Amino acid sequence: MIRVLNLMLCMAVSASAAFAQSLENTAHARQIDQLALEQLKQIGQNRRPGIDDYAFCRRVYLDAIGRIPTIDELDSFIADQQPEKRARLVDKLLNSKGYSSHWHNYWADLLRVKYVGDKLHHPGNYSEWIKESLRGNKPYDQMAHELINASGELYKPGNGATGFYAREPMPLDHLANSVKTFLGLSIECAQCHDHPFDDWTQKDFYKLAAFSSKTHLRVDPTPTVEKKTYARDRKILKNKDFDEWIVYRESIRVKHAAIYGNGTGFMRLPHDYQYDDGEPFEAMEADVLFGDMPKVNHKLTKAELDALKNHHFGPEINARQSLADWMTSPDNPMFTKSIVNRMWHQVMGAELAGPLGALTQEEMGDHPALTQKLIEIMKALDYDLKAFLSVLFNSRTYQSKALALNADAPKYILDGPIVRRLSAEAIVDSFLSLKTETPDRYVATEFKWDGFTNFYEKSQKMGVKDFVSYSINGPGRGAFQKREERAAKRRNGATGPEHLWRVSSYGHVDGNHEVAMLMGKSDRDLIDGANKEPDIPQILFLMNGDLEHEITTQPKAFIHRKLDSVSDPAKRMEIIWKAILSRLPKESEKPLFSNDQDDLIWALLNSNEFKFVR
Amino acid sequence: MTGMSLPFLNAASAAAQAPKARSVINIFLSGGLSQYDSFNMEVDKAVIAKSRIIKSNADGVRVSHYFPTLAQQMDKLLVINSMKSNQGAHPAGIYKMMTSYNPRSSITHPELGAWINKRMTTERDSLPNFVSIGKGSAGTAGFFPGQWAALPVKNTSAGIDFVKRNAAVDEGKFKKRLGILDSLNGDFDQDYGTKDTRAYVDTYKGSLKFMNSKDIDAFDLEKENEHIVSLYDRQEFSRSCMLAGRLVERGVRFVKVELGGWDYHDDLYGRLPSNASKLDKGLSSLLTHLSQKGLLDSTLVVVSTEFGRKPGVNPNKGRDHHPDGFTCLMAGAGVKAGQIYGSTTKDGQSAADNVLDVTDFNATIAWSLGIDPAYEEMSASGRPFKLANKGEAREALFA
Repeated sequence: MIRVLNLMLCMAVSASAAFAQSLENTAHARQIDQLALEQLKQIGQNRRPGIDDYAFCRRVYLDAIGRIPTIDELDSFIADQQPEKRARLVDKLLNSKGYSSHWHNYWADLLRVKYVGDKLHHPGNYSEWIKESLRGNKPYDQMAHELINASGELYKPGNGATGFYAREPMPLDHLANSVKTFLGLSIECAQCHDHPFDDWTQKDFYKLAAFSSKTHLRVDPTPTVEKKTYARDRKILKNKDFDEWIVYRESIRVKHAAIYGNGTGFMRLPHDYQYDDGEPFEAMEADVLFGDMPKVNHKLTKAELDALKNHHFGPEINARQSLADWMTSPDNPMFTKSIVNRMWHQVMGAELAGPLGALTQEEMGDHPALTQKLIEIMKALDYDLKAFLSVLFNSRTYQSKALALNADAPKYILDGPIVRRLSAEAIVDSFLSLKTETPDRYVATEFKWDGFTNFYEKSQKMGVKDFVSYSINGPGRGAFQKREERAAKRRNGATGPEHLWRVSSYGHVDGNHEVAMLMGKSDRDLIDGANKEPDIPQILFLMNGDLEHEITTQPKAFIHRKLDSVSDPAKRMEIIWKAILSRLPKESEKPLFSNDQDDLIWALLNSNEFKFVR
Repeated sequence: MTGMSLPFLNAASAAAQAPKARSVINIFLSGGLSQYDSFNMEVDKAVIAKSRIIKSNADGVRVSHYFPTLAQQMDKLLVINSMKSNQGAHPAGIYKMMTSYNPRSSITHPELGAWINKRMTTERDSLPNFVSIGKGSAGTAGFFPGQWAALPVKNTSAGIDFVKRNAAVDEGKFKKRLGILDSLNGDFDQDYGTKDTRAYVDTYKGSLKFMNSKDIDAFDLEKENEHIVSLYDRQEFSRSCMLAGRLVERGVRFVKVELGGWDYHDDLYGRLPSNASKLDKGLSSLLTHLSQKGLLDSTLVVVSTEFGRKPGVNPNKGRDHHPDGFTCLMAGAGVKAGQIYGSTTKDGQSAADNVLDVTDFNATIAWSLGIDPAYEEMSASGRPFKLANKGEAREALFA
């Protein structure tokens, strides 16, 4: 009885906390709307019309979970007569499996999750870290801090944040990437020379690099461990058999590959430093680009270090953590400005404060008060991304007709979304909404093993004799990774048929998602590397591929089954329109009735309306 | 011989030398071709290991016995033995060879083919000017708009993916579909038309034009003349070379053909011969094909690889990577055919005379087409990049 009472009390407390939060969020949303209204008044423009339930449903499914609603989901929302149905849908979607699937694509693009053969960089653990963070709604500042300060073994389950450093182990490039990713600033030019446009000098760059100096990726065991444990057998195998030697080397790397070093607080200028204000190899003490300097516990002075030889950078003093503290602090104006800029851009389609990777400290965009308000909201929400998205989705601003930006369009003042193309993954996942009534069915809800994390776990119990035996008795160089991947797959259990997976379920071992690549999916060589442009191979696929065939003529396909039971042409058209465009046919479209079903489906799938957000 | 039209040149660009070539065929051997088992026999016997030296039909040019057919075509080829790269691993090595830049995560550079495509494409062209044949990654446009990336042809029998109407759809039905699509898009354009929606409408038009272009049959090897077909064997690489020849005949400026698998760290002499035979036969056939069609004078054929292999054979009977002194070939377009350019030291350890950096190699290819290698473009963030980085054209490669 007490337990039941306790449970009820807990539920009541969390319900009231949730209620309080949702009241607060509503207040935030109203503030955004108020600012938009003020701006519109100023330029004498009318507010945009709101969108009906059909348009809202399509929009929020796409923006919250990255796919269009199935026809059943749409019908169910339209039929819902209960109050606050839009707010309830927002809540439902943000707490559904689709959320982690959709936003994984976003973060994986930003963090460039990719297999890089040279450094044995298998991205599975990195990808799982993102998914776990999303599933648990980890606050964004915590995510960023973990990525910047990650250390230790690459393939240890749960330690996937190390993938960020491993992805770009050249320290100066990595620094430039981190600054672009989390602060929205482009400082990469300053790595080699004083920045041509901005204020950053090469010296500034090196001082910033000093926080994390000596941090490095090492894929092989440390020299001590190597000498004590592996060296003898490695030499034997090298002279015996190439395949066995490779398997020995690669399998040991899975166990030992790690990020080492927590930063010494000192960097040295490069050998070719060309300016008058410093000498080649001169020691630079850690300093931030702007704002308050975080605490750094130096054990040496600059003068003492300058007196030592060039390869000395001082002892490690955990300076990298200070860098992470500075970068992710609520007091760092660029940190919050960058994330609100990105989130607004994702949801509204337009930049808020400036280009995603090239902001400036001064620039607050076309509506500075709005930018400032959003920064305040993000801080008030303690960087809870779901809560922030909820605020945006619940605003009247979001729930208004999308503006087509053109020379003759009304002036755009960030008063709502703009017309833009869906991402490659959203297009592909939307095809899934047509093929099956449960498109999110196979989205994982817990950690998935891959060949490397699974082998890492096994290897904890493996001594050198086991590694030797593994190399000699194994299936050889080409097959050992495959074998470990198969073992991991078995461990994961049933994951469903691939043709019913969402794009985020494809891991490195599943190969490139060909259709998503055609649609412009990022190959993750660059931050924000996706493109939404048309090209001939993409259009040829859409026109002449088997898309509508897959969706309509496969007897098991969801839409096929829906249409099969219906004979009235008007009703059929309604089903096709609702399923693909998430709306009812207009009066003016009724003449299209007379066309064959598969022709209508083909045309809708190829239409701009399907590919774009309105 | 077809008349040569000058490529479209920006008035501001300098080095407007009359071009040597109209088109380039780049046979890319990914994995690292072993130069001491192919075309660089000018080293100590021990370096050549199990290869045997045979004479060719060009005085002073000797090749490995793994290339007997090419030995009879060396009068058309220029052997460059002094290639040098600063990259010794495959991804970075290939990137450097393709783009002339070291890979950096702040930007993706366009491949040489994309530069040439962008620089030379005119309104009149009915085929894209950058085509990539083979299973490797097609040529990236880097920071250029996607339209300059290579058109991929994964294999010669399939041709271009989806270029024909779906089998289930006849012409009438297809027309009907396009009609419905037009109507839907027209309607959507009223309220929601933007530059991007219009770009889609334009690209659909362009794709239809491409489908119906009479030049599409350029990709159909079934249409090639019997006497040309008889020059080639049935290997996929040979057929890819034939397709490349067909495409340059139709005016395509840059065709890349990839033949991979050269990365023999072990059992080199067990595994090299079959791959060598593919190159041996395919390249020979291509040179004859181009000759017979009168295209050799206007086509620069380039055989390249990302780096070479070591002078010493390792304990696993293979050779490891070696970027300091490796070999590439050129033919056609007035190169100094039947000769050797540059050398390595006799012990095969490094490039010696007339060292040619990868960036210079690429600069020379561009220069041969009449493009100034110092031609510059800006990335989206306003950073300037040159077509061949700091490379300079090596005019000495041409007669």
